[in-house]
Amino acid sequence: MTTTESSLSPERSGAPEPGRRAAPATGAWLPTWGLITTKNLEIRKRRGLMITMVVLIIVPTVLFYGLRLIFHAVDPAGYGVAGSPQFFSQSTNLIDEFGFIAAAALGAAAGTTDLSDGMFRHLVITGRSRLALYLARIPAGLAVLVPLVALAFLMNSLVTSYQSPPNPTTASFFSVTAPDNLNQAELKTFMLQHEQQVINGFLPGLPVGPGTGNPTPAQVTSAIDQNIASYYSNYTAAEISQSTPPVNEMAKIGLWLELDVGIAFLVGLGFGSLTGQRTTTIIVMVAFEIIVTPLLAHSQLPYFIDGQRLILGVAMDQLRPAALAAASGPGQGGGGGILFGGRGAIGFPPMPTWAMLSVIVGWIVAWSGIGAWRMMTRDA
Amino acid sequence: MNANQLLAAGTPTGPHGQHFGIGLLLLALVVLGSIGYGAMRLNDHRRRNRRPRPDTKPAPPTPAPAAAAPEPSRPRPVPTRPNGGWAVETHGLTKRFGPTVAVDDVELLVPRGSAFGYLGPNGAGKTTLIRTLLGLTRANAGTMSLFGTPVPLERSRALARVGAIVDEPRFHPHLTGRDNLRLLAAARGGAADQRIDPSLARVGLADRAGDKVATYSMGMRQRLGVAACLLADPELLMLDEPMNGLDPAGMQEMRAMIASLTDEGRTVMLSSHLLDEVERTCDAVAIVDHGRVIRQGPIDELIRGAGTMVIQVDCAEPARAKKLIDEAGIAAGTALARNGLTVTLPAGAGREAVADLNRRLVRAEIDVYGLREVQTSLEDWFLSVTSRLGEAS
Repeated sequence: MTTTESSLSPERSGAPEPGRRAAPATGAWLPTWGLITTKNLEIRKRRGLMITMVVLIIVPTVLFYGLRLIFHAVDPAGYGVAGSPQFFSQSTNLIDEFGFIAAAALGAAAGTTDLSDGMFRHLVITGRSRLALYLARIPAGLAVLVPLVALAFLMNSLVTSYQSPPNPTTASFFSVTAPDNLNQAELKTFMLQHEQQVINGFLPGLPVGPGTGNPTPAQVTSAIDQNIASYYSNYTAAEISQSTPPVNEMAKIGLWLELDVGIAFLVGLGFGSLTGQRTTTIIVMVAFEIIVTPLLAHSQLPYFIDGQRLILGVAMDQLRPAALAAASGPGQGGGGGILFGGRGAIGFPPMPTWAMLSVIVGWIVAWSGIGAWRMMTRDA
Repeated sequence: MNANQLLAAGTPTGPHGQHFGIGLLLLALVVLGSIGYGAMRLNDHRRRNRRPRPDTKPAPPTPAPAAAAPEPSRPRPVPTRPNGGWAVETHGLTKRFGPTVAVDDVELLVPRGSAFGYLGPNGAGKTTLIRTLLGLTRANAGTMSLFGTPVPLERSRALARVGAIVDEPRFHPHLTGRDNLRLLAAARGGAADQRIDPSLARVGLADRAGDKVATYSMGMRQRLGVAACLLADPELLMLDEPMNGLDPAGMQEMRAMIASLTDEGRTVMLSSHLLDEVERTCDAVAIVDHGRVIRQGPIDELIRGAGTMVIQVDCAEPARAKKLIDEAGIAAGTALARNGLTVTLPAGAGREAVADLNRRLVRAEIDVYGLREVQTSLEDWFLSVTSRLGEAS
């Protein structure tokens, strides 16, 4: 250790006087740019975490399309083109699921590593507002997460846009094949003109079944009259699922994806800050995403349906863009259709827009609030 | 209908909105309850940290266990305020962890510009006091200020001029020393960023600043901790056991560092259980035991004020001399030593008492070859104080 330098500050002379230097405004709750960028640096330099992020977000998409592109290049006759509306939907869901887990892990790391590394104490001693220290983690973490998800989704969109077969001119639903771009009245006319197709398709509402024989034309007309709205919903779902999404719909899906992983990051950050334990936080978040949410989202519990709607995944599914929802296949759409063209991908009764937004905003605000509160009250 | 029209098409909402409303109402109740509870805690926290009005008495501290309350009738000395004022000032500061009182009604006054030792055995509450002063944990009672700025009310302003190492200094191991300092400088704001390189140079880490902290030795981490303190260009440094883990050379360097910092007019408050280190490094000291400050002031004054004078008597017939002195009742204690007799004179005894001791021995025809005052070290004094505490408990 050298002690040759007499002073750190050239202007220092003699004993410091009280209030001689104006103290920096470290008490402000808003994080500074420097605080955000250095926190981002701290996250980026965690090599293991960054590798995990890339493996979870980028690698599945690369493998998914990479193998298909190679197979198609090697044997075009045996293997079709790499992209398709169905593959687009599947790949997006893959990014969403793995992205959620990666975001939760990133949030948990951002929320706990200062504590576990012993830096939290140093940071508190600086006098900087603890709220500012917490809030700095949000843009710092999102700056890592958002570009990775965007990159994965961009690959997905590019392959789908340039490597998909041409859009079909017809849409098939319940074995009925109708021309594209019909409105509800035109579809009704088409179905009335093609009764045999309708009968062969065993459409719901038709009096067909064992021992009933063929329905009469009057019965078919009556069934179409009564159920045209339902048939049209399935027709549009089929039409969307068999078409490559337009650019604006892809943009919408990308934003939905970023929102979903962004919320996962915020929940992981808040929960990690609450527990102070990274591993526990990640385990709980993964269990929530891959066990609890699917269980509660795909089955309706009597008298608990409103409780199920408080699950983040259910509300987010309600907001799921139509191209993703419809790709689950005819009849799978939840029928949300309430905001930005969202339809819901799961067989779950829709909830009002205000309720869906309340649940999503509630998750963001509640977990951010809990994390910030714990940060502000924790002993360092 | 084209694809975009289809995508924009919606379906009517379902019939479950009213049930959802009940669920959301319950959620709102939970959220409101949480906000109410949080507000209650915040209010409670503010009330606890409110400075008492001049005309009101502070809340009485919780009675400490017998072992932690030595000499209850002894009045607290009130040091005179130095010209520069107090760097640290606490009154009735108390911190409890459940039933354990870690900091017990502490009245601490650290003069500005001094090297001040906070001395006590392990578990005496030294680190807890520093953590409380720095706002790392909340006090249960009492007031505190740094350079007259109340903490925690104006914590940010107070800490802007403070650097501290608490416990073992730890940093992000995957970052370099310089990157760790960048992180802290960003939190400090102001000109802290420009002090990174000078701080690293000053603690002798300039060459290793680009290495990951994971590769640093304990001594290097201590030095990085000091560099982190220097980012604030601090007027007060609080160093918790700064010699821990250092080899002799490192300890010497740390001592020189502390001396140079005080030479610049900075106040250094260090806690330690190493009596020798405190005696070498500090001008003033506070002795803490069981969370209570039992003595404080300049080291030489404290040792002198301990009152006792120990005389090494080199004489013939030490056993007879001991018996004579004991029977005369002029000594607080006597003990036979290998090279004669050790006599402890009572508090307040001066040179006359030494002359009287000599006269008595000569009259009793005991040959006296020499009388020598034994210099009391901080360690002797500390042990005498703490042993009295032990007897009191």
